[in-house]
Amino acid sequence: MKNESYDVVVIGGGPAGLAAAISAHDSGAKVLLLEREARLGGILKQCIHDGFGLIRFGEKLSGPEYAERYIDEFHARQIAAVTLTFVTKIEKTGSGFTVHTVSRNGVARYRAAALVLATGCRERTAKQVFIHGTRPAGVFTAGTAQHFTNLLGELPTKRCVILGSGDIGLIMARRLTLEGAEVLGVYEAKPTPSGLTRNLHQCLYDYDIPLYLSHTVTRVFGTDRLESVEISEVDEHMTPIPGTEQRLDCDALILSVGLIPENELAESLGVKLDPKTKGPVCDGQNMTSVDGVFSCGNALHVNDLVDYVSENAAVAGAAAAAYKPQKRKPVEIHISDTLLYMVPQQLDLARNNNKTAVYFRARGDYNNSRLALTVDGKEVFSRRYAFLRPPEMEKLELDFDGMGLTETSDVQFKLEPQTEKG
Amino acid sequence: MNLSKCSKKLKKRFGDAVTLSLENQSVVLRGHLATWAQVIEACQSVAEKNSAIHVVNDITCDEQTETPMRVPGFTDNTVDGAAPDVLVIGGGISGASIARELTKWKLDVLLVEKEADLALQASGRNDGEVHPGIDLGKGSLKHRYIRRANRMFGDVCSELDVEFHRIGQYVLFQNNALKPLIGLYCLWRKYHDGIEDTKLISGSQLRAQEPHLQPGTKFAIWNPSAGVVCPYGLTIAYAENAVQNGAKVSLHTAVLDMDVKNGEICSVKTNRGTIFPKLVINAAGVFAEDVAAMAQDRFFSIHPRRGTNSITDKKTGAFLHSIATVKELSVHGKNHSKGGGTMRTAHGNLLVGPDAVETFEKENTATNRESIATVFKKQKITMPDLSEHDIITYFTGVRAPTFEEDYIIERGRRTTNLIHCAGIQSPGLTTAPAVAEDVAQMAVDFLKEKQTVEQNQAFNPIRKGVPVLRKMSDEQREEMIRKNPDYGVIICRCEEISKGEILDALHAPICVPTVDGIKKRVRPGMGRCQGGFCSPLVTKIIADFLDEPLSAVRKSSPASVITYGKTKQNEGGRDA
Repeated sequence: MKNESYDVVVIGGGPAGLAAAISAHDSGAKVLLLEREARLGGILKQCIHDGFGLIRFGEKLSGPEYAERYIDEFHARQIAAVTLTFVTKIEKTGSGFTVHTVSRNGVARYRAAALVLATGCRERTAKQVFIHGTRPAGVFTAGTAQHFTNLLGELPTKRCVILGSGDIGLIMARRLTLEGAEVLGVYEAKPTPSGLTRNLHQCLYDYDIPLYLSHTVTRVFGTDRLESVEISEVDEHMTPIPGTEQRLDCDALILSVGLIPENELAESLGVKLDPKTKGPVCDGQNMTSVDGVFSCGNALHVNDLVDYVSENAAVAGAAAAAYKPQKRKPVEIHISDTLLYMVPQQLDLARNNNKTAVYFRARGDYNNSRLALTVDGKEVFSRRYAFLRPPEMEKLELDFDGMGLTETSDVQFKLEPQTEKG
Repeated sequence: MNLSKCSKKLKKRFGDAVTLSLENQSVVLRGHLATWAQVIEACQSVAEKNSAIHVVNDITCDEQTETPMRVPGFTDNTVDGAAPDVLVIGGGISGASIARELTKWKLDVLLVEKEADLALQASGRNDGEVHPGIDLGKGSLKHRYIRRANRMFGDVCSELDVEFHRIGQYVLFQNNALKPLIGLYCLWRKYHDGIEDTKLISGSQLRAQEPHLQPGTKFAIWNPSAGVVCPYGLTIAYAENAVQNGAKVSLHTAVLDMDVKNGEICSVKTNRGTIFPKLVINAAGVFAEDVAAMAQDRFFSIHPRRGTNSITDKKTGAFLHSIATVKELSVHGKNHSKGGGTMRTAHGNLLVGPDAVETFEKENTATNRESIATVFKKQKITMPDLSEHDIITYFTGVRAPTFEEDYIIERGRRTTNLIHCAGIQSPGLTTAPAVAEDVAQMAVDFLKEKQTVEQNQAFNPIRKGVPVLRKMSDEQREEMIRKNPDYGVIICRCEEISKGEILDALHAPICVPTVDGIKKRVRPGMGRCQGGFCSPLVTKIIADFLDEPLSAVRKSSPASVITYGKTKQNEGGRDA
């Protein structure tokens, strides 16, 4: 049984894990990356559309191209990696951790002083949005349909309905249209679209695929393969309105109804999760509530662009490399109801916070709003935003060290919408 | 049975719409009513508990639409000309367990199942509780079998390598005033009905064991002999052991008609050919009445009753270690289907349900928003921490009760070479091991009248299931992976299932190479992502195993297509 020791073990070889591992290595740590699939790159492997890397590289790359840049960097540094390797459990041992894995080579245990959890996210399922009716073939999450189409080269539908206007749903609407399938429409229960504006244009409007807001799928029919779905209009509480049902004949229902950060390993270590992000509560160094455990990428919170994932993961990697047990001086960051969430959720005043990246999303569509940071009631920072939408994540870089914070400081971010669009 | 009293009862309630007559030792109801609920009411009102005279329902109703039994969409001659000693109709828990018990004898046994797999109807769509029998009184067949069968479970599941946990059951009461009455009830059950280990415990004793249960509980009945089993796992295991011992199982095989002469079944027509059995066993679940009719031996009716269960994330498994139900005291004993609670399943999830809804649709297993809402509302009383947000899946099954709400386990009344194992509903999963022994003995006794029947000396009761790697120690796992590296390749991340386990399931005595078949056997796709990540991988493994293109793999039935072939087929499969 293999038994090795590292400074940092990174779990997950997608964009977050790769960036974290590179950054930890560059900070002088002995790093091991664990990946459960056969190849590095994570979900980017199946994202063959472009639009990746505009911020990071200033050019439009496909998912695999974006991943390749990081994979090349990773290999150039000869960082240790094992693929097709699955983490079965993690134990807290002494001052560090023991990661148990299985692979074709058997069982292995890796000791780590610090862990970076870059485990990504999973899709919400049909049952989680309470789709009822029969259980035929032909109900796919968008990512599963994408796997069949892009990785296996198989067409999962000829005529489909897409539920949810999340980005993968929009991307798959275009992708399946290009493959000759008929996309009857994208149905969104919310009154506003969930995906990025650019995807609405490039994936739906450019292909004349209709988008129906305030509509949802209430039932599926078909005993063997899906035969039809029932669509209903929904009210402001997203409850279906009786009498508005209509049946649409189709062979597939493709769901893009949200992503959930994967934190089962984090939870097994006792990491505290933020109910808003469903990811760990972290500080400005991406350290979770458990000393030595760092989180990044979509496991921390669902990002809109991979560029932010890479950037944020690099912070986690460097911090994990520099990790030494020391007493924390935590201060909470509080946010107003007009913010959907903010990461980090706290700061460790025992560490450097002079260039801390803050990520947030607005709760609604706000025009001309103002974000203000107050410390003990005194405003220390503010910024105006012409236009905020929940699907578009925002990033700020702040120097908290200049704000004279203490552990008892009352740190509040307040987003004041001037005009709220219906 | 007092016929004139029953007639009066019906007349008072339904006027002349329904008539009643005694025919061939059955009470036959005829007429026409507006709703199915009225049909049920009429039939139930004349049904007599523990009577050998059964209600046969020939009432038509406005609501009822004739939906023919779903049958496979193809015909061939796979079983054509087969002349087994015993033909078992139905691949649920009853049919599978009977087939296995029959292989203890030197008999040619053929089991036919119309679906793509075993346990696809009620046996695969129930809560998996192994009942203690606390609600059963002497006189019924259910009661006759429950204790004997319950005691058999440990041995049967160890022989068949099926997950079974005797976790016990609590029945919760919120009202202290009921305690003397319930105490007497328990004593009666214990000394009169043989439920020897039942006892009352206090609310604080309960909370010490199960801190997440309703804090307002004043006292509870504790039945330590209750347990949980994987219901489809047990059915598949029984069938596999039957096949190991020489029985044949033919899936996709629907019984369509029978040729009956002089009170004897001469041949049985299926979509896969005509079978000439010496003896037929009717274990056809909701279709047992239809099979009885084909055999010209219809003396009972089945009225389907739907139930929906929800499964929650394994993280909630920590909330409960046992089975818990809240007893809502109903004055009328109309609560026929047992169960209805919250339990920790054999696999460590929580299961919530089921409800009970009368329906004329035998095969409608579509789920409804309302069922989940009803069940959760009730079960939140048991466990306040329950949340719909923890649900990862839900499913509906259809029970197959008679109007007497008891089993029918007997030889044909008019047709001689027929044994009915009908009206099997809760606790049918529990009683199956004992019922199967008796039905097999009845079959052997019948055949012995015509031929010599010898014991099968080569019978092997041991069936090995697919190894479960995630439960092994690191050392055991290392050893397994060294022998077969595929055990180290995890395909289903939520349930931690390896490629090796999936391939083992494909090489099992009964191979069902579909995504659902594999899911039932080794659990990829049973977890919180519901196959989002692993279903393409499982599909690929099955395609490679079959040496077929990916598009040839099915979810379950032959028409349940997953993919339609290569993308951009017209352009030579070029990647876009």
